[in-house]
Amino acid sequence: MTAIPTQTKSASRRKTVLRHVTINIFLLIILLPLAWVGVLSIKSLPDSMRGNLWPRRFDFSHYAYVFDKIDTLPANLFNSIYVTGATVLITSVCAILAAYALVHMKSRSAPFVVTLLLASLYFPTRVVAIITIYEIQDYLDLINSTSGLILPYITLNLAISVLIMRSVFQLVPNDLIAAAEIDGAGTWRTLWVVGLPLAKNGLVVILIVNFVTAWGEYLLCSTLTNDQSVRTVPVVLAAVQGGLGQWAWPRIAAVYVIVVTPGIIAFTFAQKLFFRGLMEGALKA
Amino acid sequence: MNQRGIDIHRLGPWLFLMPTLAFFVVYQVYPIIRVTWLSLTDFKYLSGEPANWVGLGNYVEALNDPLMWSGLWRAGQFTLMFLPGTIIFPLLLAILIDRVRGQRLAAFYRVVLLIPAMIPSTLVFVLWKWMYNYQTGPINYYLVEVLGAFTLRDAPQWLGGTPLTLPAIAIMEIWWGLGYHSIFFLAGLAAIPRDLTEAARVDGASEWKLFWHVTLPRLQPIMMILVVLRFGSAMALIDEYMIFGGFNRASSTYTWTIFMFDQAFKIGLWRQGFAAAIGMIGAVVMMGFVAFLVYLFRSRD
Repeated sequence: MTAIPTQTKSASRRKTVLRHVTINIFLLIILLPLAWVGVLSIKSLPDSMRGNLWPRRFDFSHYAYVFDKIDTLPANLFNSIYVTGATVLITSVCAILAAYALVHMKSRSAPFVVTLLLASLYFPTRVVAIITIYEIQDYLDLINSTSGLILPYITLNLAISVLIMRSVFQLVPNDLIAAAEIDGAGTWRTLWVVGLPLAKNGLVVILIVNFVTAWGEYLLCSTLTNDQSVRTVPVVLAAVQGGLGQWAWPRIAAVYVIVVTPGIIAFTFAQKLFFRGLMEGALKA
Repeated sequence: MNQRGIDIHRLGPWLFLMPTLAFFVVYQVYPIIRVTWLSLTDFKYLSGEPANWVGLGNYVEALNDPLMWSGLWRAGQFTLMFLPGTIIFPLLLAILIDRVRGQRLAAFYRVVLLIPAMIPSTLVFVLWKWMYNYQTGPINYYLVEVLGAFTLRDAPQWLGGTPLTLPAIAIMEIWWGLGYHSIFFLAGLAAIPRDLTEAARVDGASEWKLFWHVTLPRLQPIMMILVVLRFGSAMALIDEYMIFGGFNRASSTYTWTIFMFDQAFKIGLWRQGFAAAIGMIGAVVMMGFVAFLVYLFRSRD
């Protein structure tokens, strides 16, 4: 066994190299579009009219320009942060409470609720319900209102969030919960001190999933609002025809980089918890 | 146990479920019931008149409308372009990464894989819409200037509902799901015992046989979930068509979802009764296929 024929050794090394080359080509395909838009945001105006990656002249003034000259941008950014923050917060609280009740509090209706949540995942609710959601928002006088968007946004991922938290809570031993309650901890305290810390990986998953959905939502926002100043940044960007003036290519690319970076950075920091949570909850739910 | 404790145990679960159920009923259950009812009426939103019962009239009209059928077919065409790619490429990539021995390198690969999944939907669409731009996009730049496959006059027109728009969206969606789906498959591959593959290798099984007889059967549950979920989302796509294609009836992106939205919010007095029928037909057809797919995957076990 000590003398492995050199031929197979080099063949297996060739295989390994080939494998890493293939993997890196895939990774390059994933990263190139992002690199392109990043470089676009610091290209000079004439260079931005060509689709190549590297410009002849850089121009770093676009970031300052967009805050200066696109008058709705601060409002749009605020709308995005406000709507997303509220949606993530409320959905997570709802999902934690509901999932905890489904797993650790005895309720005969739990199977029924779980079935209902699961069924909603298979029906194209988001598309078909838009007709009635417009009506509800109109009735509540929430058409063209930024805050009004939060309500339908919460339900976009509510079912999947509850199901993810449910499968994470199922990993928390029942005895632990029972012991805490016998020790005199109320239901709230038990959830807060015993349940939640053990479910934090799942929590990271639903925080990220809800962030991504709310931050980039298009259908509801473009249907339920009319004015550019009440909309979120991605919806404004989707309506823009790139070209001249404040909407020149490098300038909208700068806006793009501003709204896409926070999510990616946050994920890079949270990725270890996210992967663990994915393995515990999301892939089973 | 005192009186208070008993009370909490009775009411507790409902108290905890209340917020979720409230949102869920108002914004998911009620809308679906209301849309089902609307589909049986002549409701026009902007007319201000109450809805009148018309029975299955809207359904008959929709089923006799060629736009309903072409809408379903267009959504189906997109699904056919998108579904194989969004399963096969991640599967291949996952098998390659699963064999990487270096822990740090494997972790790095996984982080890069998930970056597109961290980009919110509309920002993915906007990015690719810019990349597909006829004059200033990098894709046509590459095809014209670098490869020389086209000239500036006959370069592909990706956007605006041309025949190329559906494949363009499919490529974008495959890119978007590439990393995320690979992570799914990696989780499945990690669950296969190493001994099993080693033993098969010692027995002289070729890599291909190993893949076909050992790996693939064990990935089937994950594959089924992915196929069913992605089939459902692909048939009911709407945002992408609004951003890439618009509301032109001749457009390749005028699917049943766009047809529904057009009738409900764009044309005339907003015939939402008719739009609701279109939505229900689309949903039923889609769920029929989903049920068939689930059955197909189950019956092999």
